[in-house]
Amino acid sequence: MGFLEVSDDTLEDGVRILRVSGDVDFDVAPELKQRIVGRVEAGDRKLIIDLSAVGFIDSTAIGVLVAALKRLRDAGGSLMVVCDNEDVRSIFATVGLESVIPLHRSDEDAFAALAHAG
Amino acid sequence: MLLPPWHMLAEPARRLTESFSAVHLRLPAESAELRRARDEVAAAGKEFGLEHKACYELVFAVNEAVTNAIRHGSPAPDGTIGLRIEADGDDLVCHVSDCGPFLPPRRKRNMATEEGGRGFAFMSALTDQMELNVEADRTVIELRKRRGERVLVADA
Repeated sequence: MGFLEVSDDTLEDGVRILRVSGDVDFDVAPELKQRIVGRVEAGDRKLIIDLSAVGFIDSTAIGVLVAALKRLRDAGGSLMVVCDNEDVRSIFATVGLESVIPLHRSDEDAFAALAHAG
Repeated sequence: MLLPPWHMLAEPARRLTESFSAVHLRLPAESAELRRARDEVAAAGKEFGLEHKACYELVFAVNEAVTNAIRHGSPAPDGTIGLRIEADGDDLVCHVSDCGPFLPPRRKRNMATEEGGRGFAFMSALTDQMELNVEADRTVIELRKRRGERVLVADA
């Protein structure tokens, strides 16, 4: 398995943010999944995945995000994704995923959306 | 306005195609090789003259095909899969091959909730043409991307 750089931080109101960097492909997507599942199992219910430093994300990694979103919603939580890279944003739009996974331009936007989501 | 003859208008594109050197690679069927596959396609796309967005989309599509070959295909006896990148007129064509039979994706998926099953949707949406060639002992995915029209800027 490859190496994925993820740092995590707790913001106010119990919001956890995972900042991801590098290319997220099939080689490292399982690691991203582990990190997210680990946070949900540890009790986090409000999660922000920050992809600002990600230049490439493949379909397996997108699948990990979709599964995480479902897992959190089923647990009464919510997930927001931060992505300002136009290449990556257009990939989400290609198969209509921008309506499934909420993409925000900044951590602040995502945080505000989480607060709004309750 | 004096226009140059037609053969001169077509000249830049033809010269680019002639100078493009095809890439034939055998990649170990391991996920750590995905980065190399992307780098090769990105470099070829740039050399061929694909615009940034078109190049990014082709890289994404080929990455999906290589991922499929690694996950679901069968490597050659030497443990590799094939990646061939070549020019065909104004198309950059990438062939990803493995030595296994084609395994069709499972039943229809719900894209909004399921984790997997988006590879083919992406490959088809992000290329100008996708072709699947299935032989008894080989599966080849061909992905094409066309470079844009060249705009002729007349000399002042």
